[in-house]
Amino acid sequence: MRAVARSEDPAAPAPGALETMLVRVARGDQEAFESLYTVVAGPVLGLVRRVLRDPAQSEEVAQEVLVEVWRTAARFDPRQGGAMAWVMTMAHRRAVDRVRSAQASADREHRAALRDRTPEFDEVAEQVERRLEREQVRRCMGSLTELQRESVVLAYYRGRTYRETADLLGVALGTVKTRLRDGLIRLRDCLGVAA
Amino acid sequence: MTAADLHTLTGAYALDALDGAEAGAFERHMAECGVCAQEVRELRETAARLALGVALVPPPAMRERVMAAVAGVRQLPPLVPEADVVPLRGRRRGRGRLSYLAAAACLVIAVGAGGWAVNAQREAERDRARLESVRQETAMLVDLMSAPDTTMRTAPVSGGGEATVVTSRGLNRAAFLYHDLPELPDSQVYQLWYDEDGSMKSAGLVDAPEGGSGAMLLAGGPRGTDGVGVTVEPAGGSAEPSGAPVMLVPFKG
Repeated sequence: MRAVARSEDPAAPAPGALETMLVRVARGDQEAFESLYTVVAGPVLGLVRRVLRDPAQSEEVAQEVLVEVWRTAARFDPRQGGAMAWVMTMAHRRAVDRVRSAQASADREHRAALRDRTPEFDEVAEQVERRLEREQVRRCMGSLTELQRESVVLAYYRGRTYRETADLLGVALGTVKTRLRDGLIRLRDCLGVAA
Repeated sequence: MTAADLHTLTGAYALDALDGAEAGAFERHMAECGVCAQEVRELRETAARLALGVALVPPPAMRERVMAAVAGVRQLPPLVPEADVVPLRGRRRGRGRLSYLAAAACLVIAVGAGGWAVNAQREAERDRARLESVRQETAMLVDLMSAPDTTMRTAPVSGGGEATVVTSRGLNRAAFLYHDLPELPDSQVYQLWYDEDGSMKSAGLVDAPEGGSGAMLLAGGPRGTDGVGVTVEPAGGSAEPSGAPVMLVPFKG
């Protein structure tokens, strides 16, 4: 985690099964890491693939993320959130770093084309598991306004900064800031997330 | 930028949509704004759920490469004494924890809900009854996954794939999480067994979806048993195992 903010309530939340696995991983338990892999590898690969698009590169980055989970497991701080969120934050950041460094130069020409190629959030054609989760995400995404949804999709699934997102959508910076926040808050409530 | 401006950046920050300088400014603000930190935590949990919604099945070779890689990677030590960070005992049940666990359980159980349509709202309506039973099973899995005495044992399945047996003696519940089980012909099925002093008691049939990955609760509890075994049986299952187990998970040790 990049940020280590002080919490109002310093008590750590009760660990769930994933957190317990992660604690074992932090002690070098490879069997626990195998179990953890079984649970998180699919979402890590799916998210990285969403952002990077390129299958080979996505697999490479997903592998790096999973090895990083092993390497830094002892740095997981349950006061900052659950283990799944910790892993996904790491995966998203790594994918975003990759896509931003690669696109920095080539971006300008592609900008116009990009918006047209922006995928729907349900576009993945290959074998997918976790159908219930997908269904719920689809339903909740459907509850957002179009601008909220487009902003969240561009920022999260495409790894765009909010400046780029504003640019692509042709709206003011402040508008995107608030749409990202409002959209996520609405998703949080719809998905029943409470941290 | 004013504090109010900064506060509206929680969403962009949680989605890694700020550039380096802005992210730094926001982090400094967040260190002194407990409300912002809390909101970022919640929005990050939310973003993680979006990731679960686009999960893919990783190729088996990826697992092999990752496992081979970690064997040679040295782990970082904790930044703070572990005991301060992760109290494994004397845990309290937080509401937030449960919703996270619901997510974890959903992603496991959803795999088992084989016939669930990916695509259609209408189909979702028709499958409401089915969804309800999935929900109940999910709720049971959540309880199991969040029990203080939950243990997990992973073992390979002969013929391919591997599985984890999750047990809580306190709840007297067990679940079977499996990955990459080889597909069986229609005439055969995987069957789970509890080992009770050497006699085998059926714990249910594995309704493995395509891809051979999923999760299910075992019928009956693990209390008083010595382990879980898996055999391949004729479709419909057997009263007792008809062959050698393809996987055996003893509870002791």
